[in-house]
Amino acid sequence: MTDNIVNEVEVEEKKYSPIRYAWGAFLAFFGISSATHRASKKRKKLVGDIVCYIVLLFGAFLSVYPFWWMVAAGFADTSNTAIGTTILNRLVWWPSQSTLDPGYTHGAFYNYSQFMTKTFQNVFARLTFWRALVNNLIYSIVPVVIGVITSASAAFSFAKIQWYGRDFIFFILLAAIMVPGACIMTAQFSMYQVLGWRDNGLCLIIPGIFGSIMTAFFIRQFLYGLPTSIIEAAKIDGAGYFRIFCGFILPLAMPAIMAQGLLSFMGCWNNYMGSYIFIPQNSLAVNLPHALSVFDKNVTSIEGGYGVVLAGAVFCVLPVMILFACFQRTIISSLMLTGSKE
Amino acid sequence: MEKNAAVNAEAVDVDGAAVGEAALPQKKQRKPINQQKLQDNLWGWIFCLPLIVGTVWFVFICLVAAILLSFTDYSVMDGSMFGFLGEMGEHIYTTSEGVVEPFHWYTYAFTHTIKISPAIEMNEMGVYLFNTVFYMIGIPIGMILAMFFAVCMTRDIPGANVFRVIYYFPCVASTVSIVYTFRLMFNQEGVINQLFGLNINWINTTGAASLTWNSLTGGSSTSAFMIDPFWCQGFFSKLVIIIMSVWKGLGGTIILYIAGLSGVNAATKEAAQIDGANGWQIFWKVTMPDLYPTIFYNIVTAVIGGMQIYAEPELLKAQDPMLSGYVALIWATGMNDITARPSQGAAYGMILAVMIILLTLVQFYLDSKNKD
Repeated sequence: MTDNIVNEVEVEEKKYSPIRYAWGAFLAFFGISSATHRASKKRKKLVGDIVCYIVLLFGAFLSVYPFWWMVAAGFADTSNTAIGTTILNRLVWWPSQSTLDPGYTHGAFYNYSQFMTKTFQNVFARLTFWRALVNNLIYSIVPVVIGVITSASAAFSFAKIQWYGRDFIFFILLAAIMVPGACIMTAQFSMYQVLGWRDNGLCLIIPGIFGSIMTAFFIRQFLYGLPTSIIEAAKIDGAGYFRIFCGFILPLAMPAIMAQGLLSFMGCWNNYMGSYIFIPQNSLAVNLPHALSVFDKNVTSIEGGYGVVLAGAVFCVLPVMILFACFQRTIISSLMLTGSKE
Repeated sequence: MEKNAAVNAEAVDVDGAAVGEAALPQKKQRKPINQQKLQDNLWGWIFCLPLIVGTVWFVFICLVAAILLSFTDYSVMDGSMFGFLGEMGEHIYTTSEGVVEPFHWYTYAFTHTIKISPAIEMNEMGVYLFNTVFYMIGIPIGMILAMFFAVCMTRDIPGANVFRVIYYFPCVASTVSIVYTFRLMFNQEGVINQLFGLNINWINTTGAASLTWNSLTGGSSTSAFMIDPFWCQGFFSKLVIIIMSVWKGLGGTIILYIAGLSGVNAATKEAAQIDGANGWQIFWKVTMPDLYPTIFYNIVTAVIGGMQIYAEPELLKAQDPMLSGYVALIWATGMNDITARPSQGAAYGMILAVMIILLTLVQFYLDSKNKD
């Protein structure tokens, strides 16, 4: 009983304490309700939004900063190897000696021009930036364009045509997704060696033109949303399946095909691992990221120092960045639909 | 395949019947239906054929070849792999004493040891596996961070879409560029150490020196827990890779969570709000259960991907037992040059496949238990 009374007294004392009252008012100002003050809903939302903005801006800064650092280092004047490393180490926002400085004689884009003109000192062959760039364009355009069309045709046949063995084949393809790529890498390597696809880079082209299962599944999902009556109507008007595919399915599924094509283009452009594993180090067929790593290993023999490597890194990143910035709406909505990360 | 052949044969029969049908017009009504079915089957298979051929060729044939290779002693210099496997009976792994050991590479994988520092000798596969599992620390960190950011982004604030795009930038960037940038940023005198006032040798580039706690931090710890054990060898370099992979993977996970969060039932949320639940309670009791499938999917794919980590450690420091993931072992033993043994790499690959399957099964088992 006595305990109870003491408690009540305490509570009453708390209620009328001016410090507590002020604290409540202070919290209410920041949108937090307490016993003394009730924060308005509007204030609550405003404060929440501001906190969210701060958090998101901080995260966005962290996402962008390494890219900024990469670009800034691409303009660093590291041609003097003795102080070049120190310049890059001291670089926080902008290099202390940059190629954009007024007194600099070689031109503002010296590092970039070095990267574009020097050979990468491959052991036997003379690999240049242009060769690697052309390789990379071939590896990322040919398999993607043809592969997306073959995937779309497979998707069409799964979604809109009834044929015997369809479910069985679908199950087989599902099983193929579950085979981890790294586990069958050595067998693929031996097979490409036998077929002679390693030195000329065919090993990065031919597997791609047969289409990808994930792409086919996504386009199939998209095609389910299209009314079958279009196809029925076309059939009645006398169109064959090939005509239907070219004239109706490809144009109608274009959003899905575009999104998947862009995603696979980015994947192929950045495919360092495929090139590094399958293509010999001294071949001319390496792709751009792989060529950059070759360049990095020989950087000491190239005038310009590490700034040139970073300029090359910018070259690797820039095309996909521009592509992503242009088509971000398509790409992100497709990612949200499929739930795949790449 | 067989079914289709049967159908085709049937169709041919029908065609054969069609020739005679001029004389027997009363059988005509069966023809149009079968013609349509034939067309469906024919074009269904034709449209699907490239994908089937590609999958069978580059996945299933390679899978079978890899399984068979792992019992032999093949090197690329032995000539064609298919010819070699064709007469596989003669090529099962044989020791120099003439003992046939089909499981030689598997026993080798589990028994071969390497010296990772003057004092420590460990199973080689165990070392690489430890690195791979160590890098998976990044998965829960990344998922919690992504959840946090995704919740912030799904608030009704203007400009949320812009953030979504910015956070996704690291995902589309080339791994090579990012590793080279991070390698310079994490230099001992580099930006990160400067900004945080640290003196950590994040990336030990000398290679020969043992990567102990003291040599990395410049400290003088005498605790056996800090100097000797295996886990702190190359600790900071591993941290750099974890930071890098979390940073690179964040955007993709955020987008998945946003997709999941927008699917959460708004009516349930509102009902909970009216019943007096606060934001924290709504998040844990309403949002999280609805988001569970997304999270589970994310964990499964992240673990499968994490087991196959390769490029990041390889670019940071080539082929280092302190740093490389398991796939680097497959590469080093199976295909680093012309004298390598793809058989050995294939055996390591099969062990990896079994581990991935087991991990996935365990996750699905835990998932089913969680649902009861």
